[in-house]
Amino acid sequence: MNPDIAVILDTALAYFSEDENLQTGGHDPKATGFNLQQLELALGAAVDPYFRFDGNLVFSQFGVELEEAYGTTLGLPARLQARFGQFLHRFGRINSTHLHAWNFVDQPFALGRVFGGEGGRGLGVELSWLAPLPWYAEVVGTAMLAYGVGSARSFYGDADLPVDGPADLLYVTALEQFFPLNDDWSCLWGLSAALGPNATGRDNRTDVYGTDLYLKYRPVTRESQQAVAWQTEVFYRRRQIPDQLLEDVSLYSELTVQLTKRWAVAGRYEFGSPAVGLGGEKGLDPLDPEWVAERQRVALNATFWPSEFSRLRLQGSYDAPGWLDRGVWATFLAVELVAGAHGAHTF
Amino acid sequence: MPLRSIFVILVTLVGLAGTARADLRVVTTTPDLAAIAQAVGAGHVQVTALALSTQDPHFVDARPNLALELAKADLLVLVGLDLEVGWLPTLQTASRNADIQRGGKGYLDASGLVPLLDVASGKVDRAQGDIHPGGNPHYLYDPRRAAKVASGIARRMAELDPANGQAYLAGAKGFSEKLQKWQQHWEAELQRLKGRKVIAYHQSLTYLADWLGFEVVIHLEPKPGIPPNPGHVARVIELAKKNGVKLMVQESYYPVKTSELVVQKVGAKLAVLPGGTNFQGGESYLGFVDQCVKRLSAATQP
Repeated sequence: MNPDIAVILDTALAYFSEDENLQTGGHDPKATGFNLQQLELALGAAVDPYFRFDGNLVFSQFGVELEEAYGTTLGLPARLQARFGQFLHRFGRINSTHLHAWNFVDQPFALGRVFGGEGGRGLGVELSWLAPLPWYAEVVGTAMLAYGVGSARSFYGDADLPVDGPADLLYVTALEQFFPLNDDWSCLWGLSAALGPNATGRDNRTDVYGTDLYLKYRPVTRESQQAVAWQTEVFYRRRQIPDQLLEDVSLYSELTVQLTKRWAVAGRYEFGSPAVGLGGEKGLDPLDPEWVAERQRVALNATFWPSEFSRLRLQGSYDAPGWLDRGVWATFLAVELVAGAHGAHTF
Repeated sequence: MPLRSIFVILVTLVGLAGTARADLRVVTTTPDLAAIAQAVGAGHVQVTALALSTQDPHFVDARPNLALELAKADLLVLVGLDLEVGWLPTLQTASRNADIQRGGKGYLDASGLVPLLDVASGKVDRAQGDIHPGGNPHYLYDPRRAAKVASGIARRMAELDPANGQAYLAGAKGFSEKLQKWQQHWEAELQRLKGRKVIAYHQSLTYLADWLGFEVVIHLEPKPGIPPNPGHVARVIELAKKNGVKLMVQESYYPVKTSELVVQKVGAKLAVLPGGTNFQGGESYLGFVDQCVKRLSAATQP
């Protein structure tokens, strides 16, 4: 009756052309040389016929953190489901996934910029509903604490502010729809919103809206080990700060091509606009004051899986923040090993 | 209308609801199980298979629409032995259907219904490849075991839908009798396979070999779940020549290029078996096994 236990090791040899780089992910390779991205210890089990438990601890050279620990209901009526505890919220597509499930070695900077290096997460409760429609449509609503310098940076972040009422919580809502175009083609489309207070002043709030699209071609009606998937997410953020209302847009778009069972290649483009006032005037961004121009980054990688449980990835990228004279070239050789219980993959 | 009459009508309706029901909704992971459930169901079931016969059942995408099918299911039947461990649990949780969670009244692991082979003993780890420590899950290649699965499915259906219980049990009996009749024909057709040495792509022919009496001397995968590499392919060719192997067998969802190279080097024939019953195309389990027999027969013609 022991829980399922798995350990996932992610390490990378990295090179950066500049001493300072702008990696946003808490577990990205950060310096030239050997990097321990993380060791994840994942636990999961059915507790009883009513609940299951899932949790994971993340170890680094600097300590251990509780990434997620939550319960999930298994059989509420009316197609409802609740989660409670600490968890990555379901804004968009990539936010609720873990490093080992990504198609790239590092976090898209859109995610780090808006939510933080750990992704958007917190202590709270989530209720989701599977709509009784002929196609998959799920509505998600979450209320959680708005703290976390690495997980809620556009909201309360590291501010030490009390929860005096509902207005001090972060609310995340999402509508996810899946369309099986046929046996070989799949389309997943989502709309999300994250609304909550920020720490720049009394009653100042941040609203983040997003949309995500995932299109996958994987021939299953004939023998094939190939697949092509395109994933794009856009984040629109609006923040009230003293004397100004700021807005910015960040996005990433990645294309993955599975060439054979063991080989894949992928490319990613990222964009982030500077935060500006609603009239287009220069913004006084308290979180990223240096971000005064557009930022773009492109990355290409090749991945080899010796087996389903080990992975080698070679990735190169060029990061061009408009406010710097020179862009940053980066190269990573990343290795991932998975031992223990076989995890179930989400789509 | 008098209150008493309304009461009688209501009680009658409730009573009827307790005995009559809409078709039992059965969802299976693989199309073989779906075909067996359909045969047993005697027209009282609606059966859906989550995977296609053209898909490797180890690696099915957990597309969210499959959770919709599970949300409506009265009974989930799976092969078990970790065959579906990479995709099914996500769908079960997403379905929000308490009945089909592990241990629920609508959860049936078919591996518990058959005698298993290749059960691991001693220390087991993934240095041995992606093995199934509880036993080899490809037991539906053996019609004798399929008959036992049919009986088990019928018994569970009868528990969930007592009104049609006798029909399900009779359906399983009829299925088993039909299989036995065909089994004699198939065994006669493939008598020449007895004692033959065979190459297999994946460790999936254990039960087929147990039924038909052939011996798998080596697999093209160096370890289960590890694709072939040049060094191992050379070993396979050498061993096949040494043992006079004249037959290689694999499923249609594996690539054929390397297999075709091996049979060409060895002077053998390649039998590509369907990955499973084409349930979506209306094929029966009997039709699937008959296809397998035909292809093996064609590849072993003198």
